[in-house]
Amino acid sequence: MGKQYGFYADTSRCIKCWACEVACKQWNGIKAGTIARRKVHEIDSGKFPTPTRTFISMSCMHCAEPACEKVCPAGAISKREEDGIVVVDKNKCIGCHYCFFACPFGVPEYTDAGMDKCDACLGNGVKIDEGEMPHCVATCPTKALHFGPMDELREMQSQKTAKKVVSDSTRPSFLAS
Amino acid sequence: MGEERSLTRRTFMAGTAALGAMAALAGAMPQTLAYADDAKKMAASSSDATEVKHAWCQMCGPAKTACSTLCHIKDGRWVHVEGNPEAGNNYGRGSKTLCAKGNSAMQVLYDPARITYPMKRVGEKGEGKFERTTWDEAYKAIADKLKEQKEKYGPESYGVLSPQAYQVLWTLGRRFLNVHGSPNYMHSAICALQRAASKKICLGSADCDPGQLDKTKLYVIWGANPENSAINQGKPNARLDAIENGTKVIDIRPMLDGLGAHADIWVPIRPGTDGALALAVLNHIITNDLYDHDFTANWCNGFDKLAEHVKPFTAEWASEHTGLPKEQIEEVAHLMGTTKPMGILYGNGIGDQQNDGNWTCIAICLIEAITGNLDIAGGGGAKKTVPKPMFETKKFDILTDRLPKSAEDEEKGYFAGMSKLVAPETPRWYQNPKTWESGPNSAYFKALMSILTEDPYPLRAVLGQASNPFGATRQPKKIAEALKKLDFYFVHDTHWNTSCDYADYVLPAATHYECSQQFGTKNTPAGTFIAINQKIAEPLGESRSDWDFYMGLAQAMGYGDDFWNGDMDACLSEQLDGSGFTLEDLRAANQGIFVARTDGAKAEEPTYQNYEKLFAALPNGKVQCYNEWIGGKPNNTETGELGYLPEYVGPPESLAGTPELAEEYPLIISDVHAYRLCNHSYYVGVPYLRELQPYPWVKINPDTAKKYGIADGDWMKVESPHGWVKLRAEYKEGISPEVLMTRRGWWQDCQELGLPAYGCFDGGSDSTVLYDSTIENFDPFHSAMSKQTLVKISKIEEGK
Repeated sequence: MGKQYGFYADTSRCIKCWACEVACKQWNGIKAGTIARRKVHEIDSGKFPTPTRTFISMSCMHCAEPACEKVCPAGAISKREEDGIVVVDKNKCIGCHYCFFACPFGVPEYTDAGMDKCDACLGNGVKIDEGEMPHCVATCPTKALHFGPMDELREMQSQKTAKKVVSDSTRPSFLAS
Repeated sequence: MGEERSLTRRTFMAGTAALGAMAALAGAMPQTLAYADDAKKMAASSSDATEVKHAWCQMCGPAKTACSTLCHIKDGRWVHVEGNPEAGNNYGRGSKTLCAKGNSAMQVLYDPARITYPMKRVGEKGEGKFERTTWDEAYKAIADKLKEQKEKYGPESYGVLSPQAYQVLWTLGRRFLNVHGSPNYMHSAICALQRAASKKICLGSADCDPGQLDKTKLYVIWGANPENSAINQGKPNARLDAIENGTKVIDIRPMLDGLGAHADIWVPIRPGTDGALALAVLNHIITNDLYDHDFTANWCNGFDKLAEHVKPFTAEWASEHTGLPKEQIEEVAHLMGTTKPMGILYGNGIGDQQNDGNWTCIAICLIEAITGNLDIAGGGGAKKTVPKPMFETKKFDILTDRLPKSAEDEEKGYFAGMSKLVAPETPRWYQNPKTWESGPNSAYFKALMSILTEDPYPLRAVLGQASNPFGATRQPKKIAEALKKLDFYFVHDTHWNTSCDYADYVLPAATHYECSQQFGTKNTPAGTFIAINQKIAEPLGESRSDWDFYMGLAQAMGYGDDFWNGDMDACLSEQLDGSGFTLEDLRAANQGIFVARTDGAKAEEPTYQNYEKLFAALPNGKVQCYNEWIGGKPNNTETGELGYLPEYVGPPESLAGTPELAEEYPLIISDVHAYRLCNHSYYVGVPYLRELQPYPWVKINPDTAKKYGIADGDWMKVESPHGWVKLRAEYKEGISPEVLMTRRGWWQDCQELGLPAYGCFDGGSDSTVLYDSTIENFDPFHSAMSKQTLVKISKIEEGK
């Protein structure tokens, strides 16, 4: 197994501009009004005049032990040896939704072609092994979203106040700060 | 490693409160980035079997050259777009970033709602009955009309609408005006130009916005909105870098927006009352002796008069107007008076969308000045010097000397054309080649009103190119009346904007992706970049580019000799002459051309506190605390004199200013002007963007909404003394319970998503109907119009 790649979302730099969401759609040929492989979530707390707003861009977490892969009866979901990216073979997918119920984060969505989720832009030609970035990361105007081997991301995150994404069983490849 | 907290499935799916608890972030530390800075490597990134072409992004307005993009074309169709790492966009070379709008650009080119053929009105104005015509017929009709009117009423009877900063208009459009002989460039009065003029007459060439943000200790954001207006142009990223570096940020805006959420102090001021806050800050700083004595003694004109003048404007007084607690006003004033270096970024929200925008900006400039923060490292201005470009292109000649000088111009000492301005935006005496933008300006709204009032004379023909007058100014009702009475209105646009129904001719515009005529340069310490838009698709139907439109019009008018006989390539080649590049070179460059610096020059620290030079153009060579540049001179409507010292006027309708009115209309409304999912009133039809804002929204504090029985997502009737609109409630804690914030311009539908257009008159969804449009209330120096009023609200039951 090569290095596990993943995403790191730095909430101290996200301004909810939605560039990542739209970049994801246009590069992956996703029509407006259908699914979203990536979403910017907003978490609000407090009341006027001291409310807080926190923004975090999230997608598939490419778990080290993906629950979706384990439950797929069609063998359509696999975890790549070389980079740990979890990918789906739409030709094999039977659309049973088992993966949706298994995923601790509710990531899988479905189109007529089958289950759909983030593949770190492997499908549109980004060469992550050559250091290229998925388009959501490349387009981020405020350097709030990062991608790379988990050890490198952990090093970046350690400079910040870490927020852990918890899922005991699947070990998501996603960091937040 | 800091404290760890949990993000659960529930948080991820529903975006609930869990992460909110984590929002209080501890120590901000420098960040190591995983990006390779090697631009070559980045440039090589794109996918395989596609062709890549260069374009300047059009999503912040046609003819802009802010963000260079690479457009990926597959089987003849433009499918993807990314920021060009060669160009030095956003944070510099290697940056492939774009905003949400930039990422949607393809959908504008392929929008099924584009206008494809020249159309001629056959019904009544406003009725919407048109039939197809030809370019030749349309040009002939327009030229016949303009020639006839020029003969009968003089060339000044023709005016052109100026949309947001528009390169075509300030080059070819200006040249056309000058050759035709009209000064009536109808400038919006909602523009950075307003702020620039106020600053110029107060600080000369000095600045308030820090030129070296990495050295700034306190950064005050005041009515500025770069996370909406210019996400990919460096400022948001630079501010976040500064915050990590320890800069403290005060954000003074009615809404807690994306960047405001990262500020140390949010100051939720009532819209339109910034002038009161600025005066109170001056009062606090002077009263508490927090000002820079050396600076005020040596470089301020009339500081004592200012000190006396601001005495009544205490924090208590400002609290009544701004709705802010007295303590917060004092806290902010104290920080501004005691933290150095301090810089202020003030924006459109206060400078050009308030009746007293001029004095508000001046008061803010004076805060920066008297605290001794001008032109020091990390304070206002004091940018590092950027080395000279590696090559230069020629400035476009707009033939200013062709504008006729009238006897009145001569007699009054005006520059050519001034006395013929139908509605001077800034006073006639102020407009001259040293102070104007690209030539004389009439104010958009006031100039259109001349059609109704015939004072001093009515405009007879108006051209609208990429500007919707129902979205670009105030009170569509009055605009419609004016367009109905106007002799001749012709439009060139990509889309059938609301005003097209009132036009005599509507001509189809190509996007800038369908021509190769827009070039631009970017100069940085690393080198100089130049690129032109490559043609990505043939013009849709019979559409013609903005540039070709003017070339054809000039030919039809018989002005061909001054317009390269209609040859746009010749016009472009003339500008490139001496740059070392030909038009062919540019058109062959799929990523543009970057010339790396070879002269060894670097960005250098400037000479600081260079006051003699910066204030050279100001009366007595000093900052105008007591303003002798404008004081005692005629205002822009020539109905009175301008004052010498900052005055607070406030919105025409406000809680503190008009308490009787507030009994019936208890809430304040304003709008964000620029928003990150559209370009002013354009692009609401773009599917990727509309998906993110499907309905005309209004942000409302949940406590207020609940009082009126309005649930999150309910439609509301919002009624001011001037008109009413339907808006959809969006709950937001980051807004005061007494304030609503919305966004204007919903005239485009989105076929792909099945979402409708919304009207711009009463009962529609355009906030411009809500505001006062009494010309006497506009800013007497630069014509800014108020964007704040009082409203009452109620829930609209379904089906009504």
